[in-house]
Amino acid sequence: MRFAVDTGGTFTDLVVADAEGRLRFYKTPTTAKDRVEGVLTSFRLASDDLDLSRSELLGRGELLVHGTTTATNAIVTGETAKTAFLTTAGHPDVLVFREGGRMGAPMFDYSIPYPKPYVPRALTFEVPERIGADGEVVVPLDEEAVMAVIGRLRELEVQAVAVCFLWSIVNHAHERRVGELIHNALPGVQVTLSHALNPTLREYRRASSACIDASLKPLMGRYLRGLEVRLRDGGYRGRVLVVTSQGTVRDASELASMPIHTVKSGPAMSPVAGRHYARTDFDAHTAIVIDVGGTTSDVSLIRRGQISETRETWLGPPFLGHMTGFPSIDVRSVGAGGGSIASVDEAGLLRVGPESAGAHPGPACYGSGGTRPTLTDACLVLGIIDRKHFLGGRISLSADAARVAIEEHVGRKLEVDATAAASAILAVATETMALAIEDITVRQGMDPSTAVLVGGGGAAGLNAVSLARRIGCPSVLIPHTGAALSAAGALLSPIGEDFAEVHVTARRSFDVGGVNAVLERLRAACEDFMRRIGATAPLASIEYAVEARYANQVWEIKLPVAVERFDSEDDVERLHRDFHALHRETFAVDDERANIEFITWRARVSCPPESSSPQWVARTAARTGAPTRRNVHFPDAGAMEARILATDQILPGLRIPGPAIVEFPFTTIVINPGSSAERSGSGGLRIRVGPSVG
Amino acid sequence: MHMQSAATLSIISQRLEGVALRMQNTLLRTARSGVINTGRDFSCCILSADARLVAVGNSLPVHVMAGPDLMARSMMDLHPELRRGDAFLHNSPYHGCSHAADLSVLVPVIDRSSTHRFTVLAKAHQADIGNSIPTTYHAVARDVYEEGALIFAATRIQSEYRDIDDIVRICELRIRVPEQWRGDYLASLGAARIGERELLSLGEEIGWETLDDIVEQWFDYSEQRMISAVRALPEGSAEAVCIHDPMPGTPGEGVPVRAKVTVRRAGARIEVDLRDNIDCIPCGLNLSEACARTAAMVGIFNSLGLRIPPNTGSFRCIDIHLRENCVVGVPIHPTSCSVATSNVSDRLIGTVQLAFAKLGGGLGMAEVGACQTAAQAVISGSDARYGDARFVNQLILGDTLGAAGPREDGWLGMITAGTAGMSFYDSVEVDELHYPIRIEERRLVPDTEGAGEFRGAPSSRVSFAPTHSPIRVLYQSDGGINAPQGARGGLAGAPSRNFKVESANGECVELGAWEDLELEPGERIVGISCGGGGYGSPQHRDVRRVKADVAEGYISPLRAMRVYGVVLKTDGEVDEEATLRLRVALASAS
Repeated sequence: MRFAVDTGGTFTDLVVADAEGRLRFYKTPTTAKDRVEGVLTSFRLASDDLDLSRSELLGRGELLVHGTTTATNAIVTGETAKTAFLTTAGHPDVLVFREGGRMGAPMFDYSIPYPKPYVPRALTFEVPERIGADGEVVVPLDEEAVMAVIGRLRELEVQAVAVCFLWSIVNHAHERRVGELIHNALPGVQVTLSHALNPTLREYRRASSACIDASLKPLMGRYLRGLEVRLRDGGYRGRVLVVTSQGTVRDASELASMPIHTVKSGPAMSPVAGRHYARTDFDAHTAIVIDVGGTTSDVSLIRRGQISETRETWLGPPFLGHMTGFPSIDVRSVGAGGGSIASVDEAGLLRVGPESAGAHPGPACYGSGGTRPTLTDACLVLGIIDRKHFLGGRISLSADAARVAIEEHVGRKLEVDATAAASAILAVATETMALAIEDITVRQGMDPSTAVLVGGGGAAGLNAVSLARRIGCPSVLIPHTGAALSAAGALLSPIGEDFAEVHVTARRSFDVGGVNAVLERLRAACEDFMRRIGATAPLASIEYAVEARYANQVWEIKLPVAVERFDSEDDVERLHRDFHALHRETFAVDDERANIEFITWRARVSCPPESSSPQWVARTAARTGAPTRRNVHFPDAGAMEARILATDQILPGLRIPGPAIVEFPFTTIVINPGSSAERSGSGGLRIRVGPSVG
Repeated sequence: MHMQSAATLSIISQRLEGVALRMQNTLLRTARSGVINTGRDFSCCILSADARLVAVGNSLPVHVMAGPDLMARSMMDLHPELRRGDAFLHNSPYHGCSHAADLSVLVPVIDRSSTHRFTVLAKAHQADIGNSIPTTYHAVARDVYEEGALIFAATRIQSEYRDIDDIVRICELRIRVPEQWRGDYLASLGAARIGERELLSLGEEIGWETLDDIVEQWFDYSEQRMISAVRALPEGSAEAVCIHDPMPGTPGEGVPVRAKVTVRRAGARIEVDLRDNIDCIPCGLNLSEACARTAAMVGIFNSLGLRIPPNTGSFRCIDIHLRENCVVGVPIHPTSCSVATSNVSDRLIGTVQLAFAKLGGGLGMAEVGACQTAAQAVISGSDARYGDARFVNQLILGDTLGAAGPREDGWLGMITAGTAGMSFYDSVEVDELHYPIRIEERRLVPDTEGAGEFRGAPSSRVSFAPTHSPIRVLYQSDGGINAPQGARGGLAGAPSRNFKVESANGECVELGAWEDLELEPGERIVGISCGGGGYGSPQHRDVRRVKADVAEGYISPLRAMRVYGVVLKTDGEVDEEATLRLRVALASAS
């Protein structure tokens, strides 16, 4: 058996895949104080359901893949370790100056405070030493001064230390020595050396990486090791893998020593699932994945079969948060989800989100004390959601409460009735999501008309068709794992690793021998990785890329490298042509006259999971009996009678024309008039998006 | 407003902002000079077909609030027949550009039926613009001839999407490090073409007439927001004066900048009168018309502190009175405006903020620290490490400067008031890689903040030295004599200072406000910025903030006591009783 556990801020999702490839889904509340406890509880729920003891269930497991928001959550709630930052003398304010850029704050609103440094100035220590840009020692390391700093660290009871010296990437002797001195003097204190963790140019990014990593080490070390130990105590004998911010998985013990790679572990799984289903259910290699939760929607891209990445990952809002200094899956979170609150400002502009009603008090229609209207309330008023069938019938909703909230907070101010107001709320929410998608597609130069929109999470189906039409996507896929897209993604994650080597060469003096040697070393590293995990060549793949730019640019673009080695002038010429074309595609211009600089060569090895196409086992009874009809108001077409069906009422090969509502166990999918749906190979829903019939 | 239009308005206005953001991303990622690809000293905006400002994205306010409208207008006046595929170079301060260094590319967006629908503009501060000396800020140029910048007043540089090579060659022969210039030109062009591509597809998608209607409604919405804001202000008039330090070419006492701000609730008007100021002066500090208007508007928007979209609609409530041949008005050719975007412009922003602060509590802001120290110098020379390759570029290493407002402390990374902290700082490692210099120090200086209930940002101190061969360093630093003022009982920030440290004896020589000097290996230069002005009385500052400032080393315990009236115990905790007594005593003494 294989397990996937997705620990979110509110819920812990467990997906169990049995030997026949059947999937079962369990949801338990996350236990904030002891998250491992929540994981174990979810196994108890599963073992009860499967009539096994928990140790029997765990004992059958071969592989457990875990995605977790533990690291992010610790940062948000300030539960990271007391961390000190050691820096080159003369440069104590690297984390204060950051890279500037007041972009995250509204332009003329100076009520937003300047962000605090990740490590306070009071815990920042200058170390007399200096390396120059060429690696030369300009000021030798003053070890006596280091010992004095260590004395202070002891007095202050610091739990973790980050060391980042200028130019440690070309000469790491000083960082290494300081690391040894701390280790000898303070053996219990965790240390991160910037050059070892993230050998990248630009001191702020490297320092920020090191500080974030060090601050997570005590906690994540305890958590990840504790998880493994307690699973084993419970009878589990397989491997424990954890999802990284890059959407790959690595051994829990390995990540315990570099926990910064787990900061986006939670949202990194939905694109993995999205990519899988786009390929299996649609044969598509270009997809936009949107995972719509209660408060936010996470958007990511699959481009030419690859999950799109970003070089810059922020904890918290861009420019106001802290930069991890690492690439990650390019997930754009936008404050629009099922619980997003709708409001009208004093000049009459309608907004939806980013404020959210969350699970408590929840949307007005929950009747749990919420009075402000949400997207869910709007969908209830429009007849999209069945008040008796919400979340598999677990919660009965109040349409009256939803209507009152919408009339009072939106309708009256816009001078329209509740239905029209609800329609506008849905349209604005759709637009907010569309902008998040466009931001990322255009930045990547992707044309949505060539992509399939993959929707997951509890609320994606409400407007997936409208969203697709708005961004120009011709088709939508709602995978059968619906609400559990992320956890399902964890079981579909390839096991892999990235290797990189800096080797600077240029178009005008292309170092074929040097580059081939680099590629050879990268391939050897990948093959070594495959051997370690027992993967075989036909299944595993290695993809090469190079980060390149025109001379004197400072931001590279990642260019896929089509060959394993450069054997001819043609191979080299093709690389140059590909660069010009990619630059033109992304930025509208190229520069045939300019030299091209190739900086970092990369290889990613990726070993797919063994499973084929898993089948979902729904535990919650779906709608039974004959399809019914009800009146639904579509924002684009007005009110009309729509067919209401469960997924298993859609027979293979049958195409259901809109207007229709398809109810999955944990989510509802709207088929707008003009569009039509059919069952996908793995039991999901494929929707052909037609023009509006309004 | 009609309901359907409320949703559509929200949607399309965001898409237009999105187009400007995409243009900006292109410029940042593809430019060749540090001032653009790292410092981010550039802007992109969208104008309607009749040259009204529609969307600015994350532009620098000083680049876009006013000026792009005048530039687009001059493009149409000078070229009555616009064709698809055209692109124009524009940097003439006599035709709406901010200053000559802000070389812009304008592209008229022309649809399939050959109708001019929008104009997109990409404006980037160049590393060099061909001045007579290697700086884009020629503060002491007596006129545009001595300044030496190439000036383009909407000169066609592309026709049918192809470069007009004659124009490119002129630039390549007159602008230092021509390959760098050409790369930056392509980056701006790419940004404008991305904007054109996006707008064409938007117009075709929703229909041009619909789009026009929505733009008008967006203006009306923005105006409505501004009307609400003005109606919430106290009615009345206030004046303030800020003084730019003397430099060669200015009067002996410097350049006083005076503004009279009047708020009229009836009709919802805000007026800024700048006519009572001295004539243009024989140096590069004069403002262009674009900068005079923009600086007054930035002062207004900062003073209101609201999230009102800056566009033609919200600007309808604002009247700015200028006069010709005035140092903060409309300069007449050949007056030099080489430094128009920073020094006097920042003083004007401060003047308007201080005048607003006089109108009532909770309004206005203190004065942002005067710019730009040696930490922002333009450096040039040749790099022995790369075969004596020539280089010229502006450093952006320091200058914190943020002024306090009525709700929060000063922003620590303002860099200039007009750029609103939107620029980026350089990375020490990137600068040392690209230029033969070593940045020896870069830190904040304690006890330099303009104290107040909300305090200004503390000063930055930056020092750097050439490593291989001499470098030429030019800067124009204000605020050494006239420190940035506080508002409503807030204190002034620390003044700026610049030094040269000699190699032989380590002796420190204080430098002037304007310097053009050759630095030899072994020597170094130090720039200490102003602190930002404070807002409100320091004795009203929340004791927890004072305690935190001491803990973080922004202020000393002594200053906490003397200036803020807060007494801390040896463990860093507040001595509540002693603090109360001291604050009462300080209040009765004043």
